[in-house]
Amino acid sequence: MTDAIRIRGLNKTFGPKTAVRALDLAIPQGSLYGFIGPNGAGKTTTIRMIMSIIFPDSGELSVLGKASAVESKDQIGYLPEERGLYRKMKVGAFLNYMGKLKGIDAGAVDRKVKTWLERVGLADCSKKKCEELSKGMQQKVQYIAAVLHEPNLIILDEPFSGLDPVNRRLLRGLIGEQHQAGRTLIFSTHAMFEAEQLCTHLFMIHKGNKVLDMPMDEVWRTYDPRTIIVEPLDAADADRAELWNALHGVSAVHHTDEHVELRLADNVAPEGVMEQLTRTVRLRRLELKKANLEEVFISLVGGDAAALRAEADELESVKG
Amino acid sequence: MFKTLHVAIREFLATALTRGFIIGIFIPPLLMVTIIPATVALMGGTPKVNGHVAIIDKSGVTAERIKDQLSPEKMAERNRQRLERLGKEVEKKMEGIPLPPDAKEQMQTGMQQQVDTGGLLDQPDLRVTVLAADADIEKEKAEILKAIGKEKDAAGADPRLALAVIPPDAITPNTEGTYGNYEVFTAPKLDVAVQSDIERAINTAIVDTRLASLGMDVTKIRSLIKQPEADTKAVTASGDKATNEAAKMLVPGAFMFLLWISVFTCGQYLLTSTIEEKSSRVMEVILSAVSPMQLMVGKIIGQMAVGSLILLVYGGLGVVSLISFAMMHVIDPMNLVYLAIYFVLAFFMIASLMAAIGSAVSDIREAQSLMSPIMIVLVIPMMLWMPILRNPNSLFAQICSFLPPINPFIMILRLSGAEKIPTWQIPASIFVAACGAVFMAWAAAKIFRIGVLMYGKPPNFKTLIRWVRMA
Repeated sequence: MTDAIRIRGLNKTFGPKTAVRALDLAIPQGSLYGFIGPNGAGKTTTIRMIMSIIFPDSGELSVLGKASAVESKDQIGYLPEERGLYRKMKVGAFLNYMGKLKGIDAGAVDRKVKTWLERVGLADCSKKKCEELSKGMQQKVQYIAAVLHEPNLIILDEPFSGLDPVNRRLLRGLIGEQHQAGRTLIFSTHAMFEAEQLCTHLFMIHKGNKVLDMPMDEVWRTYDPRTIIVEPLDAADADRAELWNALHGVSAVHHTDEHVELRLADNVAPEGVMEQLTRTVRLRRLELKKANLEEVFISLVGGDAAALRAEADELESVKG
Repeated sequence: MFKTLHVAIREFLATALTRGFIIGIFIPPLLMVTIIPATVALMGGTPKVNGHVAIIDKSGVTAERIKDQLSPEKMAERNRQRLERLGKEVEKKMEGIPLPPDAKEQMQTGMQQQVDTGGLLDQPDLRVTVLAADADIEKEKAEILKAIGKEKDAAGADPRLALAVIPPDAITPNTEGTYGNYEVFTAPKLDVAVQSDIERAINTAIVDTRLASLGMDVTKIRSLIKQPEADTKAVTASGDKATNEAAKMLVPGAFMFLLWISVFTCGQYLLTSTIEEKSSRVMEVILSAVSPMQLMVGKIIGQMAVGSLILLVYGGLGVVSLISFAMMHVIDPMNLVYLAIYFVLAFFMIASLMAAIGSAVSDIREAQSLMSPIMIVLVIPMMLWMPILRNPNSLFAQICSFLPPINPFIMILRLSGAEKIPTWQIPASIFVAACGAVFMAWAAAKIFRIGVLMYGKPPNFKTLIRWVRMA
C-alpha cells in the first residue's frame, strides 16, 4: 500500500514556541487516521502544514505523491478547525462556489450539491442564507463543502466539535462511508471517544512531539491492561483476602469502591483466571478490562495528562 | 487561473448586487437628473403676486414717477435687463470653453426665450395707490396686516402688499445738505423678488425726481454713469484666449475626483470583504481550495470590476451629458484612455494596501489605526489639486508624478489641465506606477499569506514589514 501522506523530520516554531518537533509520519492510503492530543498539542499546525496553508521551518512532506498539497488541492477535502460560511450567501450558491473552486464542472456541480443537501437532511435550505442556519446545520454545509468534489484524501480538523449527539452519529456514519469507499481520511479530535470508535490508525501528539503512531489493533494489543474486573454478588466477599490470594496467575489485587481489579501475571491467559473465579466466587460481574485511549494517553504523557482529563470531563458533561 | 476568475466573479457579484451598492451608485446621478428640473418646476409654480402698493408722498413730487416705475411695462423692462445681464455673465463664463457656433447660437436663443417670456417668475400684478401726504401712517400700516392672517378676507381681492413713506428730504437736501432715506413697510411674506423690485422702482423714481428738480437730463445722466465692462483675454501663443478659471479647474478636478472615488470606494469594499472573510472564519475554508495568492488576486480583480462599473456609470454619464450639450470637445478623448490606464494602476496599488491591511486584522476597528496613514496619503492629491493645476509643470508637480501610489492621481490632473506637459512623462509615470503596483502586490501577497490565518492581537506596521521580509 502506498502512503497518501509522508512526513519526515518536520519542524515548525512560532516565535519562541515549538509547535511541531521532528515529526515523522506515514499515512497509508485507505486508512482512517485519528490525530489525538489536547488543545495546543500541534494537531492543527500539522494539518495546516499538510495542507500547505502554513509552511514548515524544515523537514520533508509529500501529499498524494506531490511535494505540496497546492499541487493536489483538488484531490483533497479539508474541513478546517477555524471554519465559517459567507453569512449573506445562500447555502446552495455557497456550495456551488466551493464546488467550482475545487474544479467540479459547472454542469455537474448543481446536481451534486442537491444530492448532498438531501443526504444530510438540508434539502429545503438551499435557498436560505447561511446566517439563517443553526450551528449544527452550518457544520453540515461545511462538511459538504469539504467532500463535494469526491476527494481521495479527506482531512477533518475537529469535525465533531459543536455537534449534538444525533448529528455526531450522522457525521460518524458519513465518515465511515467515505472510509468504506476506500478514501484516506484524517481527523483530529481531543475527544478520545470518537477516535476509539472510528479509527484504523492512531497518531498521538503532545507539546509538538509524537507520542504514539500505530494501527488501532496494535494499540489495543500494546496497551492491553491485562486486568480482570470482578464484582462479587455478596459485597462482603470483596474483603476476603484469602479468596483472592488463592487464585493462580494473579500478580496484584486492587480494591476499588465497587469492584476488585486483578492484575494478571506475565504469560498467563485471562481465561484460566476467569474460570477459577466462576468456581470460587458468586459473581455479579466478571469482565476483562479493555484499554481506553484516555488511559493510554495518560500512561504515555504522565502527569501532563491533567489538562487533558479536565478537558475530557468538560466534554463529557457537554455530551451528558 | 479559473479559480482566480471564480473568486473574482463572486467578489464582484457579492459587492455589486447588494441593495446598498445599487442605491449608492445610481441614486446620486438620478437625484441630479431629477432634482434640477423639479426645482425649476417648483420655482415656476410660485403663486402670482397680486395687490397694491400704497404711497405716502410727503415730498409731493415723487408719487407719479413711482407710479410710472411700477407700471407693468417698466417692470417687464427691468426684468428683461436683469435676464440679459445674467445671460452675458453666463456667456462670459463659458468663453474659456471653445464652443461650436451652433451651441453658442442655441444658448443665445435659449437665453433670448427666457428674456422674452420674462424668465421663470410670473410678472406680479401690482397697482399703486397714492395716499394723502398727511395720512396716518399707523392706520395705513394696519391695512397691510389685513392682508394676512385671520383678516385676510377683509382685504378682499386687492390686499395691501407694501406701504412706502417718502419724506421731503429724500428729494431736496435737508439743512445739513444731505438727502434722507425713505421707509417701506411690507407684508411679512411678500416675495423677496417682488419686494426688491418695488425698492428698485422707488430708488429709480427718487433719483430721477432729484435730477429733474435740479433741471438735469435724466436719460443723459443715466447713460453717463453706466459702468463699462472689462473684456479680459489671456495672451497665448495660439492667439488671445479668454481666461476662464472655473472651466480650467473643473475639468481636471472632475477627472481626478472620478479616479479617486472609484479607486477609494472599491478599496474600501476590498478591505471590508477581506475582514469579513476573516471574522466569519470562511477564510480557511476558501484556502482549502485556492492559494492565498489566487484568493488575493481574484478579490482585487473582482473589486476592480466594481470600480470599473462605478467609473463607467459616472464617467459615462459625464460623457453622455457632454455629448448631449454638444460640448464633448471640452475633454480630450485620449484622456479617457489615460483615465482607464491610471485607474488600473492606482487601483492595484491601493487595493494591495487594503488587502494587506484587511488580511492582517480581525475586525474593522483594528483596521482604523493601520488605515489612517493610507488615508493621509490618499488625501494628498486632493490637497494638491489647486497648486498643481495653477502650475502643472512646476518641479513639485513633476516630482509628485513619479511618486507611487499618488502619481496616477497627479498625472490625470496634469493631463486634463490646460497646459501641455512633457510627452515623455506619460509613459515614464505609467512605468513607475506599474513598478509600484507590482511591488505593492508582492508585499501585500506576503502579508496576506501570513495575515489571513492570524487571529488575536492586531499587528502594527513594524510587524507587517517583518512579514514582508519573511520568506
